[in-house]
Amino acid sequence: MNNRPPDTRYHHIKKARAVLSLFAFTVLFVSFAAEVSAQRTITKKYPASKNVRFEMKNISGSITIEAWERNIIEVAATLYSPAAQFTPEQTEGCVGIDVVRDNRGRAVGDINFRVRVPANSTVNIETKRGNISISNIRGDMVRAHVSTSGDVELLGLRANQVIAESGIGNIVFDGELTGGTYTFKSLSGDISIRIPTNSSFNLVANGVEKSIDLNVFASPDLSFVGDGRKVYGNVNRGDGPRSSMIIFNQRGKISFLGR
Amino acid sequence: MNCEKCQELLSDFLDDAMSDADRASFSAHLEECLQCFHAHAELDSIVSFCRETRGQYDAPPNESAMWLRIRNTIESQPSFATAATAQNSSRKIERESWLKRAFGRSWQLSFAQMVTAVVGIIVFASLATVLSLRGLKNNPGRVADLNNTGSTAVALTGNAKFEPKDKIVLQQQEMNYLIQVVDQHKSHWNPQVRQDFERNLTLLDQTVNESLERLTEHPHDEVTEEMLNSALNDKMQLLKEFSDL
Repeated sequence: MNNRPPDTRYHHIKKARAVLSLFAFTVLFVSFAAEVSAQRTITKKYPASKNVRFEMKNISGSITIEAWERNIIEVAATLYSPAAQFTPEQTEGCVGIDVVRDNRGRAVGDINFRVRVPANSTVNIETKRGNISISNIRGDMVRAHVSTSGDVELLGLRANQVIAESGIGNIVFDGELTGGTYTFKSLSGDISIRIPTNSSFNLVANGVEKSIDLNVFASPDLSFVGDGRKVYGNVNRGDGPRSSMIIFNQRGKISFLGR
Repeated sequence: MNCEKCQELLSDFLDDAMSDADRASFSAHLEECLQCFHAHAELDSIVSFCRETRGQYDAPPNESAMWLRIRNTIESQPSFATAATAQNSSRKIERESWLKRAFGRSWQLSFAQMVTAVVGIIVFASLATVLSLRGLKNNPGRVADLNNTGSTAVALTGNAKFEPKDKIVLQQQEMNYLIQVVDQHKSHWNPQVRQDFERNLTLLDQTVNESLERLTEHPHDEVTEEMLNSALNDKMQLLKEFSDL
């Protein structure tokens, strides 16, 4: 039998609650602080020529490549694991970062990269997982390859060769065709191509049934086969150089947009 | 001019039976080659002596006794067998000396001789190659045998049979090996990477199975075949990329 007055008991419960709340808050704060202290940001700059080649192999994390009007490559990396490391290498006409090589056999967390390169650079990016975004590059070649999951976004490009590949992820290309080769490939995700309406190109696109939307680029010179799962032929819209476009999508949609 | 030619022409030179051009080149060689110069000097002295003493000789004092001594000397030579052995050994020596001469000889070929020799070798090699190629074409079994031995020799004709099944088996073996490598490394990966890899692989397998099912229903569906090939290549590529991680 409890002989204490009800008021005192209520105060004890209140006190215990307050102590527990404080403890929980402290635990949360300490874990967050530890996470923040493990996170590092590194920035490095490399002098480069106008048409430098930039190559990157990442394991996990987002990669953003932007063009600027300076002959410098600026790499800003945020590392979320204390064990993670990378050593950029600069040779004549090329700057390369290989996170796979530099961390082989170690479980490293995400490394997010934000890189600024000269506008006429050639860019070749690979990652096992994570999004890739490349914008305003006007070099010879742009390649973005995601092995598993991640979106690829290529905006404002004017390159002679473009390759975008992703396992599970969307691909967006918004740029100009300059008479070269353009390859887009996804296992599961949508592929969107936004190009000037006066573009001329040879097209081979494979997708699933009723998944190919040519929009303004529909043309009698294009042939559909296999219940509309494949389309091939020429799109003649302007006097510009004829490019070659190859699209492969195992499960998602393929859509064209004119601008 | 070489030494051999010089020694052939030595007597012609001494007999003054050479053309002016040959004489000039002969004289030039004598100035360069000490051996030929000595040979020339020796022969010259012999010929000169013979010329000087031509028709001047003394008759032996007892001619019949001399012939008797010669006959006795011939009769006292070793027997026929010994003579045969001697003949063999002399042949051997002769052969040895021929070999020695061949290898020890300084091969100073003229430009024309050298060109002829090179052309001869080229013609012989070309003929041998053409004949052997013709032989292979007429006997495709031999090419197939070469392939079956697993040698990297490239089939020279298009007659050798290629089995798509073999390619599939090889691809499957390579995939199994890569899966083993990946399984060994997986534990070191970031959990998110591992999860995405598994998800992607499952989706690829699903795509392959769906394509195979469709191909069973429509065996001549080329679009599905292309999709299947693409999915298989993607799977191989994925495994290769992650076996390196």
